[in-house]
Amino acid sequence: MTEKHKTKSKSGIELEFISSDILVSKNEDERIEYILDRVKKNKILIMEGSLSPMEESRLIEIDMTQISDEFPGIEFATLGEKEKGFREKIIHLLGGKTGGLTVVGPSRLVKRIKKDPKRIFLLASKK
Amino acid sequence: MPFKKLVGWFKNIFGGRKIIRLGLYGPPNAGKTTLANTISMDWTGEPVGKVSEIPHETREVQKKEKIIVRTKNKVIEMNLLDMPGIATKVDYQEFVDHGMSIEDAQQRAKEATKGVIEAIKWLEHVDTALIVMDSTRDPYTQVNITIIGNLEARNIPIIIVSNKIDLEDATPGRIKDAFPQHHVIEISALKGKHMGELYEAIAEHSR
Repeated sequence: MTEKHKTKSKSGIELEFISSDILVSKNEDERIEYILDRVKKNKILIMEGSLSPMEESRLIEIDMTQISDEFPGIEFATLGEKEKGFREKIIHLLGGKTGGLTVVGPSRLVKRIKKDPKRIFLLASKK
Repeated sequence: MPFKKLVGWFKNIFGGRKIIRLGLYGPPNAGKTTLANTISMDWTGEPVGKVSEIPHETREVQKKEKIIVRTKNKVIEMNLLDMPGIATKVDYQEFVDHGMSIEDAQQRAKEATKGVIEAIKWLEHVDTALIVMDSTRDPYTQVNITIIGNLEARNIPIIIVSNKIDLEDATPGRIKDAFPQHHVIEISALKGKHMGELYEAIAEHSR
């Protein structure tokens, strides 16, 4: 990382876009540890693919174990089909993807996150 | 009355009654403990827990056992489980802002994180869940969606409780719009408003 880049990330907010290929080889807890490790470095992650309800609650559980005076937790939102239809199931069986999105960030940076079934609104600030 | 219904009615009246574990879920400050207290006071005359405006007042699962609820057509026995509020963040600074000392606030935050984990672990052990939402706030939050998604995946009956309808800025219609696939009962746990409708819904949808 160049000196210029380092200075930029100190004053700005760092977003990281993650392909599902990175997460697919990991088991559930490894995926969540990977997410939290990066979020604790003050990054907002935008990940390809949605989390299942069980993964979401596991994310909250592991997040709770890592909360400290310096790290008060996360904000997150997912978009994607919870109930997969026949078409999506077939695509998944064949190893394909049917979309979905997950946004996770540290709560000290993500001041507001709001979602509706099709959109996520996120307000981030260092103040 | 069909035979099966008749047998069910006799069973219900004369024994063989199942005790329902009724879990109260939701984010902090939605009014879960106020609701637990109202239910418990209505049927046992005793409260369940302390209520506070400071978030995460309930940091352990609070139980009230053997509450017998009589509705128009049914008698149900339940163990009431008032869960700690589920959140994705617990910032001790928030408690300091409510006037707590730093030390007490840090201790409260530590206990609150354990409470959230305990509430999540209980998700698979309840028979019916009341999801309590504050009708003055946006209901379509990730926490509410995660709780509902978990219960749906486990096929556990859900009743959404749209609480605090006595407040001027309550918009309970938003909750119905956000979760049209679920039964939504509008109440004020504090004022005891529409509690009869809630008991009927619990009797009808529990198993």
